[in-house]
Amino acid sequence: MIIANNLSLQYPEGTMGLRDVNLAIPSGQVVFITGPSGSGKTSFIKLLIGIEKPSTGTLNVLGENMGNIDKKDLQVLRQKIGPIFQDFRLLDGRTVYENVILGMRFLDFSKKFIKEMALETIERVGLKHKINSLVDNLSYGERQRVAIARAVARKPLLIIADEPTGNLDKDNSLNILELLTSFRNSDTSVIITTHATHLINDYDTSMKIHVQNGRFDLEEASYERAY
Amino acid sequence: MKGLTKNIDYFFREIKTIVKLDLLSNLFSLLSLGFIFFLVSLIFAGGYITDSMIRDIENQAEISVYYEAEANKIAIGNQIEKIAGVKEVIYINKEEAKMNMTEILGEESRILDLFDHNPFDPYIEIRIDLNEVENITEKANSLSGVELVRNNKEILDKLKDISSLISLLGVLIIISVSVATLIVTSHIIRQGINLNKEQINTLRLLGAPEFFIRLPYILEGLIMTVLAGLISSALIYFTFNYIYVKVIDFLPFMILPSLDKLLISIFIFTALLAIILGFIGSIFGLKSTKTS
Repeated sequence: MIIANNLSLQYPEGTMGLRDVNLAIPSGQVVFITGPSGSGKTSFIKLLIGIEKPSTGTLNVLGENMGNIDKKDLQVLRQKIGPIFQDFRLLDGRTVYENVILGMRFLDFSKKFIKEMALETIERVGLKHKINSLVDNLSYGERQRVAIARAVARKPLLIIADEPTGNLDKDNSLNILELLTSFRNSDTSVIITTHATHLINDYDTSMKIHVQNGRFDLEEASYERAY
Repeated sequence: MKGLTKNIDYFFREIKTIVKLDLLSNLFSLLSLGFIFFLVSLIFAGGYITDSMIRDIENQAEISVYYEAEANKIAIGNQIEKIAGVKEVIYINKEEAKMNMTEILGEESRILDLFDHNPFDPYIEIRIDLNEVENITEKANSLSGVELVRNNKEILDKLKDISSLISLLGVLIIISVSVATLIVTSHIIRQGINLNKEQINTLRLLGAPEFFIRLPYILEGLIMTVLAGLISSALIYFTFNYIYVKVIDFLPFMILPSLDKLLISIFIFTALLAIILGFIGSIFGLKSTKTS
């Protein structure tokens, strides 16, 4: 599903985002990428969704070589990914429901299916009672749940959450991680970046990758599962 | 273009949201476009009216031949009938000449009552083929007993000059208006895109196709120009209803085209102009804005 070989990312101003990363993430995994701020977690996410291109090495995401992917293929690839951004990127002035179905409108789904999926997912993230509320009027945690619902409702093969625990206390962080990992299935992997290493100890069936200065350090168990 | 019909409600809601983001500026742009279209509609109407007047005068091409009091009008008429291009010869007596003028002057014909006697002379009216006007005038003038030959060629020539001027002016104004409309429309689109850059980028990150992202902006430009066309059409409707009433009152002899036909022609012209310029302006606005 995701294969990186000697992958590096250098930004135009010279900063190294990632250095010589090698990893393979099969389908149906929960992957935690941990590390301090600025270690390279977000750089990896940017490469996964095609915001940046590898400087050296190769990165293959869902069968696409990210080094030379064209615009059309990138657009199709992004339709298979459910991204949850740090700042959520919700559309203000629209309701919870409108935000959730936005990610599905242009997909090959029927109107009926889109509606059913949106309602089911909104219920699953616990926002059924706020379905017609404007996202502008929601709390931080509720907005985050809308972002999660938008990402997962469209049945992606890869869910990517960038620092979902960033501004939350321990209990809320655990709830969000629980919610996110619950969307993993045999086809769908969930990749979560977080700097809160202590929160992921209970997830022993997952891959855990520690990033430091752009270098990936996979736990031994993760290596065994991956290769 | 997959998902176009499925999402039509979404596109229109998006347009509403985009317009509301900078409502005042969009309203001013709309009014500016409305007045621009009104200006071009006036020029179009001017061209339409003069063309119509020329056609009418051409269809009613005639020459009036005035003869000396003691001349034999029948003899003159017989000679005129033989000239090539003459279709019909009609003898108008003094009373008929006065009646014709009364009809032309309409309400203003009261002025004729001020005369103690009928001031009009009898004459011979000749219906002609307009292409032969010069030849017929020359030959009628050379007949003995003929005092004056009056044709409407001079009026026709003047009208044709005015028509050419209006056409030239029209082309120049339409070019200027097109450029102004393209600038205003593309500015509206650029403004909308700049205010929605974040949203556009989010849609791209979610894998939305370009048509899905751009369509609301193209439709916004189209709707703005069509609304401007409607504003212009409303102004034109009231303006020409007023002008026609005034012209009929003060210049009853002016041959104006039917108001309904004129208005329909202007509305069709404005609609086509609005749609074409709106579409091109939107595309131009999209192309000239960096969205990524």
